Amino acid sequence: MGTIDIQQYIDPEVYDLAYSWLTEDITFYVERAKQAGGPVLEVGCGTGRVLIPTLQAGGDIDGLDLHPGMLEVLRRKAAALGLTPRLVNADMRDFTMPRRYRLVTIPFRGFMHVLDTEGQLHTLRCCREHLESGGALVLNLFHPSFDRLVEPDGEERQEREFAHPETGLPVGVYARRWLDRVNQILRAEMEIRESDPRGYAGPSHTHRFALRWTYKAEMELLLQSAGFTRFEVAGGFDDRPLERDTDEMVWTAWRD
Amino acid sequence: MTALPSPYDAPELYDLVLSHFDDDLRFWFEEARRGGGPVLDVACGTGRVMLSLLDHGVDVDGVDLSGPMLERLRAKATSKGMAVRAALADMRDFTMPRRYARVFITFNGFAHCETVEDQLRCLRCCREHLEPGGALVVHMSYPAASYWVEPESERVLEAEVAHPASGHPVRMYDTRTKDPVAQRQHSIVEIEELDGAGASRGPTASRPTSAGCTASNSSCCCAAPASRAGRSRPAGSRSR
Repeated sequence: MGTIDIQQYIDPEVYDLAYSWLTEDITFYVERAKQAGGPVLEVGCGTGRVLIPTLQAGGDIDGLDLHPGMLEVLRRKAAALGLTPRLVNADMRDFTMPRRYRLVTIPFRGFMHVLDTEGQLHTLRCCREHLESGGALVLNLFHPSFDRLVEPDGEERQEREFAHPETGLPVGVYARRWLDRVNQILRAEMEIRESDPRGYAGPSHTHRFALRWTYKAEMELLLQSAGFTRFEVAGGFDDRPLERDTDEMVWTAWRD
Repeated sequence: MTALPSPYDAPELYDLVLSHFDDDLRFWFEEARRGGGPVLDVACGTGRVMLSLLDHGVDVDGVDLSGPMLERLRAKATSKGMAVRAALADMRDFTMPRRYARVFITFNGFAHCETVEDQLRCLRCCREHLEPGGALVVHMSYPAASYWVEPESERVLEAEVAHPASGHPVRMYDTRTKDPVAQRQHSIVEIEELDGAGASRGPTASRPTSAGCTASNSSCCCAAPASRAGRSRPAGSRSR
């Protein structure tokens, strides 16, 4: 298994700003945690974008992440709210928690940080081992968009613009991508550009990461190989069927 | 669409547009030699690869799902004074009386397995037919991203050959639609013979010159582009 490079990953202090626009999945994962009726483990919990709202909704949730800086931000945010979640700094491919869960989640494409089949299988097996009988693993990842796959490598494009949650000033996200279409690996360089009140360029933050994309049939094989016999996939957080290559794949796999 | 015939019901046409494809023959012969024992050609069709291997002294058996394709294989073998052992069977579920040093699935034949379950059944069945230490060798085109974003439902000229008797052009067209999430291609293959003035002659008395086909909801049909080899191309384009 290869190493997961967190050195060039996004600065944890910038993470919450960079993804402040993303809320669609929070409702989904909080709802799943409430329905679970038992303890929840979030794998790749990061700064607690999903974990903290889950705690606030009364969920019994533990968190796991490979990135100590992310966990530090999460602890600080939780402490400010008077919360003390159990957090573990560990690799999703090989971890041991002292209890078993009704629900294990890997939100926001965390699974895609694992770049090889062996690592993917380790991750799925490890998650499965941490489930109680009848418990479920829920994770989301994007289906590769073929329009995206034919884009030329290395060209900068603006991904989105949103208002800074505190100042209201525009924040731009710019990305350059390089694709390894045979090994299904996307390498990206992202730049988050803030602006100042006069409309000039403000602080800028650059980070790099790699993701491996997976197809539907491939994911079915991975889940089967990892020991799951029952699973389903939706094409989004609203439970619609997976039909288009631009859909988000939201997988649920049960441990019988 | 399901009423359309399969190109495998028209093996003469299949051979007419595809038998000249020989880029892979050397590879399969070398692989058979490396195996050093009997070979099984799964989805052997009219024997493009199998007869070439027999010609070179390889001990090779065949399996194919199409009766007409096997009939043509036997007729071709007989005319060459060769005997062939070929069984009419499904690549997902077949039983041969012996075990092999090599099992081959050539020319995108594996792409006829449309689901993960079909794929696993086929691979398991092939594995069971291997001697210990034997190998399964599969040729599949890798799907280029550009393949998936080709315009849908356009009639694409895939191959053109001169008719051996009349000298008229014979053209094969493929009209493809794709399901990118299921990773499946559906093809309508048409083969037509043109007259001297370049107009489509339509079916002749001796031999149908156009054949439309479909394989239920699938990647199949004999969409074997001459410019981009492959019996079907769920796996995308390949330059020659």
